[in-house]
Amino acid sequence: MEPNPYIPKLAKIIQIKEEVRGARPVKTFRTQFLSENGFSFRCGQCAMLSIFGRGESMISISSSPLVEDYLQFSILKMGRVTSSLHDLQEGDIIGVRGPYGNGFPIEKWKGKNLIFIGGGIGIAPMWSVLHTALGKKEDYGKISLIYGARTSNDIVFKEELEELRKKIEVHLSIDVEEPEWKEFVGFVPINVLEKKPSPENAIAVTCGPPIMIKYVIQNLEALGFKDEQIFTTVENKMKCGIGKCGRCNIGLHYVCQDGPVYSWAELKNLPQEY
Amino acid sequence: MVNLEDLKKEAKRILEEGKIKYIIGYERSPNGMMSMPAFIKNPEDAERLTWDPSCVYNLTRFLVDEKRRKAKEKKPDTRPVAIVVKGCDSRAVVVLLQEKFINREDVYILGVSCEGAGVVDEKKLTEKLKGKKADKIEFSEKDHFLITSDGEKIKIPAQEILAERCLECRANFPVIYDEVLGEKVERRPEDPFKSIERIESLSKEERWAFWKEQLDKCIRCYACRSVCPMCYCDECVVDTISFAVAADTTAEEKAQKIKWIERSPDSSENFVYHLVRAIHLAGRCIDCGECERACPLDIPVRLLNKKLEKEAKELFDYEVGFDPEKPSLASSFKDDDPEDFIR
Amino acid sequence: MQKILRKKSFPQWVKKLESYKIYAPAKNGDVWNYEAVNHSEDIDLDYLNSVLSPKKIIFPQREIFLEFSTSNDGNPEINEVLPEENPSVIFGVRPCDAKALTLTDSVFGGDFDDLYYWRRRDQAILVGLACHNPPSPNCFCLSVNGSPHSKEGLDILMTDLGDRYYVESLTEKGNKLLNLGNKFFEEPKAKDKKDLEKINLASEKKIKRRIKEIKKIPPQLKEMFDSPFWDEEAMSCIRCGICTYLCPTCHCFDISDEVLSSSPIEGKRVRTWDTCQFPDFTMHSSGHNPRPDKASRLRQRILHKFQYFVERYKNYQCTGCGRCISKCPVGIDIIEVLDKVRDYGT
Repeated sequence: MEPNPYIPKLAKIIQIKEEVRGARPVKTFRTQFLSENGFSFRCGQCAMLSIFGRGESMISISSSPLVEDYLQFSILKMGRVTSSLHDLQEGDIIGVRGPYGNGFPIEKWKGKNLIFIGGGIGIAPMWSVLHTALGKKEDYGKISLIYGARTSNDIVFKEELEELRKKIEVHLSIDVEEPEWKEFVGFVPINVLEKKPSPENAIAVTCGPPIMIKYVIQNLEALGFKDEQIFTTVENKMKCGIGKCGRCNIGLHYVCQDGPVYSWAELKNLPQEY
Repeated sequence: MVNLEDLKKEAKRILEEGKIKYIIGYERSPNGMMSMPAFIKNPEDAERLTWDPSCVYNLTRFLVDEKRRKAKEKKPDTRPVAIVVKGCDSRAVVVLLQEKFINREDVYILGVSCEGAGVVDEKKLTEKLKGKKADKIEFSEKDHFLITSDGEKIKIPAQEILAERCLECRANFPVIYDEVLGEKVERRPEDPFKSIERIESLSKEERWAFWKEQLDKCIRCYACRSVCPMCYCDECVVDTISFAVAADTTAEEKAQKIKWIERSPDSSENFVYHLVRAIHLAGRCIDCGECERACPLDIPVRLLNKKLEKEAKELFDYEVGFDPEKPSLASSFKDDDPEDFIR
Repeated sequence: MQKILRKKSFPQWVKKLESYKIYAPAKNGDVWNYEAVNHSEDIDLDYLNSVLSPKKIIFPQREIFLEFSTSNDGNPEINEVLPEENPSVIFGVRPCDAKALTLTDSVFGGDFDDLYYWRRRDQAILVGLACHNPPSPNCFCLSVNGSPHSKEGLDILMTDLGDRYYVESLTEKGNKLLNLGNKFFEEPKAKDKKDLEKINLASEKKIKRRIKEIKKIPPQLKEMFDSPFWDEEAMSCIRCGICTYLCPTCHCFDISDEVLSSSPIEGKRVRTWDTCQFPDFTMHSSGHNPRPDKASRLRQRILHKFQYFVERYKNYQCTGCGRCISKCPVGIDIIEVLDKVRDYGT
């Protein structure tokens, strides 16, 4: 019997971590499948999380495929389903189906320098690919991260970022001045111009709010990055995750299946406002 | 009789003067005999306008779109739009004015007389022609329509092919206008609630069976809602998510949106949808019949509104859409209100 | 396999198919639709086009995916719900509607098979009826690689020859159905074949509407994505779902949880039809809507059918049934729109 793609597998939440408090809270959830047969995935892929009675929400997997003990999801509280997810406790059971989407072509990036540029919760889909590259550090060149949030309170993975500084270059920014803040103040695209990553033998990956992505790409191009060197993820409303329900359709693509990862060269060929 | 050339001339004049943004009117469909809505911006396009018994649409629906569009414009063009209205449609304008949804200065009303007749029911006409295709339909003298089909002209008594709502119409001449064309022909319907009385005469069980059969057909395309000029809420109970989302809307607020109605088109959900729709039109529906005309499955949704129209008349002696100065039914108060709680 | 069936024998043949669930066009008021029939005599093949295509049998407006409940330990329990094993025969399928199912096949197949769709699809035998008269004045199948006697997607094609049907079986499933009523069928004679040819030729001539030079349209649409054309065309659109819900090829859907009890939690996860014409279809929970107005939604409908689908599946996502034209409450006519697209800017 063929697998039914719409039926989620049950998974237990084994850990919940509050990343960001306040009006735009973010929590990181680690889940383990109840049965033996979970799934393997590529970094950049997503999964559909279910709270039965509330519905489903497509969330990117923020752990690396190199980690086999759990799946990690970092979730901004945004609407109906994510609010319910935020109300859960460790030990609660949710539904997980997937993995969906194409993922980052990380195998093709071997030997290259990787620059990750993120804003807000946009760090979640990059977190998986960043850690996968770090796990095989010898395969890649220099790895660096430029990341910003609205305020210092909105920075996701705060402690891990401090740890990360020991391994790679990390440039943080916040949008508006704060007394204790020692690093860059201003929007992420400006910080990109400031830090001037070199396009030579490099791949830039950017995730975050659409408006940030737009200006990051503009500025990367100004720094000499070619369309093929820039990768991003597209966010769209999704229901089925398997290219059938039609919601995430952009041109001939279904983002859930053919995306969410696109090089700027690919994305340019799709309708811009879908 | 409305002289079409006069309508075109007036349309051309107001566009040339530049005081009007555009005209919402009717034009002939390039395919078939029915007309369709037209949006005329240039004076030379005023030629396209038409007025004949196939102009079934209540164009005031597009005043709602206009308001929404204007709200989004950074530098809105504040000139009024002109709109062609029949008697019934003009009552819809009155309701929108009463409810302060639009302002009088935002709309230039071009009234047209229904010549004591009304507009056709496309299905009745098709049946009457027994499969022959009509190319043109015109008002004719003495309550008749003149149909051109295969080059032949046929005269049909208006009563035989009029839309149901026209048979029960109490305003076949515009009640509000800036300019009006055609003569006022008095034609009071014998019984303005004839259609609903048929249903009222049924027993409770028969009525349940009737409505269940009808509403079970509903596929929830929401055409009845979408075509209605009074269904102008930003967010409707049937919408799946909150539309009124601002930058500061919290996740909790979005999550707390109650799902009143499931999308499943089964009896219970369909009943709730149709009853909610009807009750929200109590004292507001002007019986243009567009909801029923739009329904692809021929559900007689107009009857639900008709029932409420009758209640308003009998209980409160209220007739919808005749006086923009009068408060709407829901916001009017009478000392002799039959209900205790309100006194 | 080609046979002749006398019209009076038709109900007798259907009677032999008692192990199948039978669907056929049925009239309710002025509205034709495909409904389950219990008596073979009730089938009236002298019908015009149904309001909803037989898509609604294969891809029903509501499909239960799973049931969820709460187990004794308080944890959720889920139960897959698949459509019953229930072989069916759909009579009187229009060639355009059968072709439409071949298009939804490509959507519901691919990398992930939609088990719900295929369970119903695989069990359904489609018995077509050629359109010797166009069932709608807005038929335009000839423009979109179809024809009033197209066999695509059908298991059997019947053609009305007056007092008899010309019956051609096109698949194994079709053969099986004919064999069940073996004694009612005759071998076609030369005259039958000649009559069939004549009717097929005449039926094509009766289709009046065309999309001219359709091949020019997909590339032209690609150029027109940002055109103000869409604002103009969408002025009269009232954003209802008729055009898409009635379309035999539209397949978009929603998945939602219907709660029967909130404590302990119990309910069903269901799929229901949805449409790109509704504003909530693409709205993100942030409030951002990539298709914020009716112009972008009308554009999506047209481009999906005549550009994106062509690019992805090498076929128009339209079979020319004309339903969206006939039933649009404001007279939006896809042929007119495409005619204007083709000539835009020239």
